[in-house]
Amino acid sequence: MEKYEKLEKVGEGTYGKVYKAQDKATGQLVALKKTRLEMDEEGIPPTALREISLLQLLSRSIYIVRLLNVEQVEKNGKPLLYLVFEYLDTDLKKFIDSHRRGPNPRPIPSPIIQSFLYQLCKGVAHCHSHGVLHRDLKPQNLLVDKEKGILKIADLGLGRAFTIPLKSYTHEIVTLWYRAPEVLLGTTHYSTGVDIWSVGCIFAEMVRRQSLFPGDSELQQLLHIFRLLGTPTEEQWPGVGSLRDWHAYPQWKPQNLARAVPSLEPEGVDLLSKMLQYDPANRISAKAAMEHPYFDSLDKSQF
Amino acid sequence: MEFDLENPLTSSEDEQHGWGSISALFAAEADHMISTVGLIDLSSRRDAVSLVLQAQFDCNLDPFVAYLAINYIDRFLSKRKIPREKPWIIQLLSIACLSLASKMRKTNLMLADFQGKEGFIFDAQTIQRMELLVLGTLDWRMRSVTPFSFLRFFISFFSPAQPPLLQALKAHATQILLKAQNEIKMLEFKPSVVAASSLLSAAYEIFPIQFPAFRAAVSSCNFVDEDKLWECSIVIGAATVTATDGCDDSSGMGVASSPETPVTVLGRQSSSSESETAVGSSSDGRELKKRRTTSTLHASCDHSG
Repeated sequence: MEKYEKLEKVGEGTYGKVYKAQDKATGQLVALKKTRLEMDEEGIPPTALREISLLQLLSRSIYIVRLLNVEQVEKNGKPLLYLVFEYLDTDLKKFIDSHRRGPNPRPIPSPIIQSFLYQLCKGVAHCHSHGVLHRDLKPQNLLVDKEKGILKIADLGLGRAFTIPLKSYTHEIVTLWYRAPEVLLGTTHYSTGVDIWSVGCIFAEMVRRQSLFPGDSELQQLLHIFRLLGTPTEEQWPGVGSLRDWHAYPQWKPQNLARAVPSLEPEGVDLLSKMLQYDPANRISAKAAMEHPYFDSLDKSQF
Repeated sequence: MEFDLENPLTSSEDEQHGWGSISALFAAEADHMISTVGLIDLSSRRDAVSLVLQAQFDCNLDPFVAYLAINYIDRFLSKRKIPREKPWIIQLLSIACLSLASKMRKTNLMLADFQGKEGFIFDAQTIQRMELLVLGTLDWRMRSVTPFSFLRFFISFFSPAQPPLLQALKAHATQILLKAQNEIKMLEFKPSVVAASSLLSAAYEIFPIQFPAFRAAVSSCNFVDEDKLWECSIVIGAATVTATDGCDDSSGMGVASSPETPVTVLGRQSSSSESETAVGSSSDGRELKKRRTTSTLHASCDHSG
């Protein structure tokens, strides 16, 4: 760890404190994340080994924040592990905020939205093709290089070893605003659809510059969703009525989604609606999303 | 989260991803090859491999743990030299790699079980430090893409697709892969090529009637280079023959009729000069025999096809 000089605390990541630091030898900026992994008499804990090696495998994609190194430090006689990631100067939340507030509020230019969404889909597709769900996609977890126009996924929720367990493992994982309805309704079986829902919410948020479903409790979160998309029915979503937390909810009719994202072109609205399908099985996959006509005007060769 | 050699990219329990993504695997495999096989010190490797195999035998270990451990050892030795005068480091390396491999595989391993029978005894801290050194040297890339990752893909080319046949084929190919790992030349081939070659060798041995169609199907696959497949089959043949026959190389001539001989899986017409380059550098009598064996088998294979 003497290799790095801590510069400042940059955040309280999902999994603990994150520091901006500098490699003393090369000057390279890095993000340091302390893990809760302690070495014990059996050496490196098996879960940590499996999860870090998976992270290492995933971070080959340029749309995933790169794991540069794993460092161990002695603390109170016990070795602790730090993960060293590449550092990016901002995240999508700050990026959106800078377009909403401050001296120069303005919409995010649509080519940038298109490009960021494409990169996000590409990163998510990469995770999914490796059998990994992120489970906690949100603007704070998407790092942005403004100069190069690059977006990368961070804080992969492989997480048991990294995670401060938040209640039971299967629930309460995704930040409420980006949480898929099946998670809110207590499904026990997660699939790739939970990430796609989050991608849809993030897409809408880039267009609106404010959250699409800003719920402050699980119930409020569901009601936000139902008010816009209509209360889900058995026809739309077979089995919804038998999910653990399903109750008799007020019956809302679906609103016109385009009105929630007024500046978005029709193809974008179509893609968004495919990401926000109630039945997770009907939600578009990340890979299919990349082929959607919304991206026809994008020069994909740059990615 | 258990690391499955047949499905290294997948950590999810979710069956819909059970297949992983085959194109992702093909894309990843080059990254998992050792580019500097020549740097591996042969005597260090031989000692380490035999320690691992001995431990596997003594402790009745899952053969995949041993396979993975040897994969780590090879990658480690291709990056670091072990001083000749410190033979205990080889033993420590073997123990650390076995420990890491069993953690990846979620196998419980009592380090005490394979320490101390002979040689040195290391304390837990020393082993821990070696684990970290191995992890650092291998950049924590412990989810190796190995030939096992490609077995299911290539088995899908086999017809008839009856589960008992496919299982037998896979089991036999697995045996071949485990045996052939001894041969350092195997490291020069892509894992997918090794997988395809081992299945062809297995099919040649146990399903000679279906073999020609299987060979044609595998060779026509876009992902494999037929020349490499051919070279690799020769190496596998030689490696498994040597492994089967132990030190008795003189039986080399007899192997043509032995069911353990998978040499000529491609059965392609090939001049002896071609096979000479394919077999490789060493030019002792044993290689000569292998070459001869190879051409004999060619002939027999072409007849059967």
